[in-house]
Amino acid sequence: MTDEGNGQNRESPKEPAREGSVGLMEPPVATTKGDGPPINGALLLRAGSLMGFVLVIAYFALVAPGFLSVGNITNVLEQSAILGVLSFGMTIVMIAGGSNVITGGIDLSIANNLGLSAAVYAILLKTGQPDIVALSLTLLTGLAVGLLNAIAVVSIGILPLIATLTVMNICAGFELVITQNTVLQASSPLLAVLAGDGPFGIATLAYLLLIIGLILIAVIEYTPFGLRLYAVGGFREAALAAGLSVNRYIATSYILSGICASIGAVLSVALLSGSSTGSGDMLLSVVVTALLGVVFSRRLVPTISGSLLSVLFIGFLINGFQLTNISSYWVNGVEGLLILFAVATTSLVRRREA
Amino acid sequence: MTTDTSPTPSAPTGSASHPSRQSEATAEARQRSTDAPAPETIPQWLHRSSALRYTVILAFLLVFTFLSVKAPGFLTLSNFVNILVNNFTILAIVSLGMTLVLLTGGIDLSVGTAMDVGSLLFISLISAHQNFLVAICGGLAGALATGAFNAFLIGGLRIAPFLATLGTLFIGESVQQLATNGGQPIYLITGTLAPAFIYIGHGSFFGVPFPLSLAVGLTVIYYLLTERTSFGRNTVALGANPSVAWYSGARVRYTSALVYLLSAVTCGVAGIILSATIKAYVPLSGNAYLLDAIGATFIGTTLHSEGRPSVIGTTLGVLLLSIVTNGLLLIGWNFYWQQVGTGVLIFFVLATSFLGRRFRR
Repeated sequence: MTDEGNGQNRESPKEPAREGSVGLMEPPVATTKGDGPPINGALLLRAGSLMGFVLVIAYFALVAPGFLSVGNITNVLEQSAILGVLSFGMTIVMIAGGSNVITGGIDLSIANNLGLSAAVYAILLKTGQPDIVALSLTLLTGLAVGLLNAIAVVSIGILPLIATLTVMNICAGFELVITQNTVLQASSPLLAVLAGDGPFGIATLAYLLLIIGLILIAVIEYTPFGLRLYAVGGFREAALAAGLSVNRYIATSYILSGICASIGAVLSVALLSGSSTGSGDMLLSVVVTALLGVVFSRRLVPTISGSLLSVLFIGFLINGFQLTNISSYWVNGVEGLLILFAVATTSLVRRREA
Repeated sequence: MTTDTSPTPSAPTGSASHPSRQSEATAEARQRSTDAPAPETIPQWLHRSSALRYTVILAFLLVFTFLSVKAPGFLTLSNFVNILVNNFTILAIVSLGMTLVLLTGGIDLSVGTAMDVGSLLFISLISAHQNFLVAICGGLAGALATGAFNAFLIGGLRIAPFLATLGTLFIGESVQQLATNGGQPIYLITGTLAPAFIYIGHGSFFGVPFPLSLAVGLTVIYYLLTERTSFGRNTVALGANPSVAWYSGARVRYTSALVYLLSAVTCGVAGIILSATIKAYVPLSGNAYLLDAIGATFIGTTLHSEGRPSVIGTTLGVLLLSIVTNGLLLIGWNFYWQQVGTGVLIFFVLATSFLGRRFRR
């Protein structure tokens, strides 16, 4: 009884209870992450995660000969390029959408958007369109899907989770319509360059991953635009009060994510020399890397650099599995556990601080 | 803030000793939801104009009329039986679990996993010449294990349902790939099957196909569970406002954990029926039902007077989706275009449903 009276005093409309919530509402992190000294829990978590990364690499370096050779590292970078670009897109959406899992930003359509864009690219090349036409139409496809997400989430107000889940299925449907569930072979001068080696005999895709990553790190973490993106996601009301057009930033994040998906599509067509079925399976890895990136960041928020680190982490992990002959069927399960680990630890640390 | 230490679910006011308080909780939650401008985290389906319901009913009628005119053989009795048996049954069962979870304000992305795990264990036990009942229990136990994992993550560790069930979904995929050597289906040899096995897939119960009568039976049970029991009222209260539910003495964590267990077992039943119908276990086949189940439940919310998920609404939503799938097939759209068609339809229903609450703001 006393508890109840106490509770009603405490309850304010802006801050619904966090206890006993089914996770519907995350603790309000916005208040704790803006300023103040660095937080011990977060620091510990970050250090622990980095340590884990180093330990995994050290383990495979001991067990698998050639794991740390330049050739193998390049190989990992090349294989991670597609996942990396998608993960960047997802990260941008998560930054602008905020950390609440139900109402916050997420783009579940990103992997199937890649599939659709890749199908568009492959079929255009196959029908003899020049590279520039195919490339621009592919980017337009990704942008259109991103725009659809933006309209659904911002203009219509569908929960991002459900809106992008639906768009995901529409993309998957269109991809099947285009490819008839087959692999479309494609080749073009651009693809030859992308699939080949750049300077120093290192794969072009590896360079591209690092270049795109660095550009996005610069844009998202070191420009006013990026800062505002974080402001919109971190504390929507404050951003509104500060005069930011919140909706425009959220819409932009979905469109950027769509473009990332189509860039990923081009890289994927280059790597596999054609479109491939089952691109939707990448969704998990994308979600995992974007979430895992949070534990690599200083204030436990999604960052591009954190996502890049976690993409490399997953890349090295899968590569290590291959080199040590561990079945690739374990990969999904390990990724599932990593999601749960990342989410459980970050929410624990945040709750401590709240 | 004391918030961090106080909230163990058993701490405040045991609901067992105050049964009458539970209905108060619901009443209070409803009261709140109708008066106050809601905090953003309350499921927003509670705030919508009821006029919107007619839009969806109108859409339903339009689709129906269109298909009656366009699709040859759509308006025949045998086709309706066909819709109910082939399109409706499995999705209806899966959607029941989804409805219960969405009622509490959570989401279960692992419905397909529960189906698959149930189906995997059921078919494996049958093909290992185990007793039929043992196989059924095995299948249900497998599904229950998925649900228990979700319940532990969500009720115990308080991980957000979306991420917890996403994790379960992917761990489930890994388990299935490991168990089936990368996704090999398990087929049963038709001659050796027990009569009971044939019966649950293809038998008839008082003239009604058994899977369909099972779906109807489960729907009735779920209806009674959600609308007529204190547990049902707790789930509604939890979805309306978890904090009010908690302060009112509803056992929030217990309820939310139980919801995922029930959802998983229900999906396990769907998986067993599915595999009995096709006499095989096909790995990762359950995920196809995920979006349709969410879509059907949200179509259902537009039909409910408070705009929340409801068993009757969901069943009508499943019916609408089944009719559309069947009709598009009869018109001659192939499977790929059907996926686009249903996707676009669900998109528009969601858009209507969510636009409605925009207008009320």
